[in-house]
Amino acid sequence: MRWLTLYLRSRRVPVALATAVGGMVVMWVLGSAVSDGGPGVKMVVLTVLLLVVVLTATLSGPDEELDRTAARPWPPRRVSHLLAALAVVAGLPFLTHLTGISFGPAGPVIRDAAGLLGLAALSAPLLGAGRAWFVPLGWTLAAAVYPAAGHLLGEILTWQSQAADSTPAAVTAAVLAGSGLIAYASAGPARRTPAEAAL
Amino acid sequence: MSRMLRIELRRSAALGAALVLLLTGGIMCYAAPQRWSSSWMALAMIEREYLVLILPLALAAGAWQGRRESRNGLAELVRSTPRPRPQQVMPILGALGIAVAGGYLAVLAVAAPRIAGTARYLPAAAFAVVAVGVLAVVAAAWLGLAAGRLWPSVAAGPVLALAGLGWLMGFPGIAHGQEWLGALFSPMYGMSQYSDYETVSGRLSAAQAVWLVALVVGGYVLHVAQSRRARAASLLPVALGVAVAIAVMPHDRYLPRAIDRVAQELVCTTDAPKVCVARVHSTLLPEVTPRARQALALLARLPRPPAEAHEDTTTWGRDLPEPRPDPAGIALMTITVDDRGHLASPADLVPQTVTRVLGNQGRCPDGLSWSALRAATYWLVGTEPPAEPGFDDDGEWNDHVGQLWRSLRELPEADALARVTAVREGALRCADLDEMLSGK
Amino acid sequence: MRTVSAAETAPTSHPWAVHADSLRVKAGPHLAVDGLDLALGTGVHALLGPNGAGKSTLMRALATVVEPVGGTLTLLGVAVNGRADLRRVRRGLGYLPQQFGFYPRFTVREFVEYMAWLKEMPKSAVPAAVQRAVDRVGLSARADARMKTLSGGMLRRAGIAQAIVNDPELLLLDEPTVGLDPEQRLEFRELLRDLGVDSCVLVSTHLVEDVVAACTDVVLVNDGRLVHRGTTDSLIAAGGSGEAGDSPAERGYSALLRRHRAEAGR
Repeated sequence: MRWLTLYLRSRRVPVALATAVGGMVVMWVLGSAVSDGGPGVKMVVLTVLLLVVVLTATLSGPDEELDRTAARPWPPRRVSHLLAALAVVAGLPFLTHLTGISFGPAGPVIRDAAGLLGLAALSAPLLGAGRAWFVPLGWTLAAAVYPAAGHLLGEILTWQSQAADSTPAAVTAAVLAGSGLIAYASAGPARRTPAEAAL
Repeated sequence: MSRMLRIELRRSAALGAALVLLLTGGIMCYAAPQRWSSSWMALAMIEREYLVLILPLALAAGAWQGRRESRNGLAELVRSTPRPRPQQVMPILGALGIAVAGGYLAVLAVAAPRIAGTARYLPAAAFAVVAVGVLAVVAAAWLGLAAGRLWPSVAAGPVLALAGLGWLMGFPGIAHGQEWLGALFSPMYGMSQYSDYETVSGRLSAAQAVWLVALVVGGYVLHVAQSRRARAASLLPVALGVAVAIAVMPHDRYLPRAIDRVAQELVCTTDAPKVCVARVHSTLLPEVTPRARQALALLARLPRPPAEAHEDTTTWGRDLPEPRPDPAGIALMTITVDDRGHLASPADLVPQTVTRVLGNQGRCPDGLSWSALRAATYWLVGTEPPAEPGFDDDGEWNDHVGQLWRSLRELPEADALARVTAVREGALRCADLDEMLSGK
Repeated sequence: MRTVSAAETAPTSHPWAVHADSLRVKAGPHLAVDGLDLALGTGVHALLGPNGAGKSTLMRALATVVEPVGGTLTLLGVAVNGRADLRRVRRGLGYLPQQFGFYPRFTVREFVEYMAWLKEMPKSAVPAAVQRAVDRVGLSARADARMKTLSGGMLRRAGIAQAIVNDPELLLLDEPTVGLDPEQRLEFRELLRDLGVDSCVLVSTHLVEDVVAACTDVVLVNDGRLVHRGTTDSLIAAGGSGEAGDSPAERGYSALLRRHRAEAGR
């Protein structure tokens, strides 16, 4: 498993994971401070968003061009990378169920985790991994603060903060997750030299 | 310096940041134009509410830009140059500051044309509200810049944005019901208008401006700081600003909604019968006047008819005032503004005004019979009452109103008028209007 | 006939542009420059030495980026210590670091302009100075291209342009010829000779033939200490036919190093 450790380090996963866990702890502390009966929908959505944006940085290594010269095919690893990220993003809030303050229900958490990761994975080939958080962040902030329920367009546009039984929201998330997975697995993050990736 | 500023404006993230702010604010404004179409003050206040999205984005843009020096490995070269750091950072601070301030103002610019024809009253307080918003985004961008330099990670931007959003939305809750504290330190708090006369008190704006300026200075000091001690020193101006702001702000547990008495003042027609609207609605007077006069003409058949029609400028505080009869001789109208800044559903103004005169405020312990009032109103108007939407009883209630209206119509005119007059008088006594209408 | 340069006729308060006395500089926890004595005046000086000899650390200290931990260092007549006002020194400084950072979205002209501004050049002098610096490194055709579109050699030349934009009295170039093609290196040598007339130029390099062609003298360091100081001819003279190397200068380089190591090993 030596290569796995090296791969994870090349993607700066340890730092990202530590940041994600730290962020989850902070949100948990905040959630337990404000809550009567657990954190609200907004807080859960924003927690998932936090975990996703922290992990998007791992979608590419320091030099994508160098990575692409590898003989080993990338798509399987890219898919595994996304699935592992999904497990982390959905899993960390799930752990809070062991405590008194639970971030969940699991359904919307998994939906949001999959949809937002898909959105980030969709952005990575277009904008580069360094900018892949742009769209998930902007969209989710707006959707969390101003959720629109009760009509189709509203539920699609603010899918992140819909109730667990909202079909339009679930479908939107599934579409984003699926297209993100396919786009990222086949195209990979945008090719930028390290200097360009800087800005 | 100005040349450097121009270069930074072109080459840094400044323009992108301005565009993101403009897009976000613009989309939010046009997603719900009825929230700000009534006046300039409403527009100024609603953009302050949208700081909840704009300010986190300004933070993220700052953090994104703040990573540049370390990401590009220019730090070493820059350290070998003579220009002191406080001057070195001015172009990028200036560029980003101008960009986010410009982005914030540009939102107003894209929203303004929609209401330019209908909004006229422009109080000084509106400028204060906008200025505080501009200060907030500049402070956020500079703080983000400093934070991005100290924590040059890709995650810095979004994490900071989330923290900013959490602060804006969460702080009023953390402030433990001390509303003054929440309003002071969350510049988006309490910014949705309950009435068109609402304003933001000068004292609140001044207090907010104080701590936001302090935050701008703190962000600058933090960005310039080279040592741990200098970084700690950046807390000083912020602490000072917060202290002054707390001292300036009245410590009201419940912050009363500030009412702009000038906006509330009536502006009237010069010719009789007099029709008046609040100053904030003064451009609607030509739209209101013919309908108000039509209502007055209909009401003239009643004994002691109202001679003038005024906009009802009553504002509700936390506690409802004692119910008292509407002033005699005046028909009160409720003016609502549609999403283009014009009079909302003008056709309804006549029956609404008539109903208001017949039912007075309608504030009775057991309520008033709405069906009787409606039938009486439409008897005066002379048309069949249109079906009132929003009842889930298969039109039963609307049928009932229609029956009452028809039975009035079948009566001789004098009898019917007597019953309608009885309804008007009964409403003052909180009597059973159904009985009045059926002549029992 | 010889041109008399401005530096020779101008009265100067400091006989040496660089004067180091038992200088000690740390690179991280490691003492990379350990008791170095050095005095450099006008001319082109080559800084030679194996990898890890402390060349870049010395350069960084001379560029006032890191502060010495021991000894004395005087740059352009100003003693560099914790209390020194380095502004005057830095105005007369040009520096091309080994790891050359730049803003990818800036054009070459904007970047050089920005550096000129950082070096506190008078505003009126900037545009002409920038154009001249860009011309001197042969980047005029790409002056308005974004930095991120440049090739490695062009970037290096842009780096040289920013270093010389303020006509520095002390010019520090850390491996300036990396990425330059043979033709550009010839032009660069010409530029070096030109710059050395008026200023003190210190060029760190591994390319011994550049040294012979363009430098007036040689500073050879190893393990943070001065190994040899002399003219380029003295470097050539040091080499015997038995030393490793394909040219007299390379043989001299090898011989001096070998001797120093042998002495240190005793």
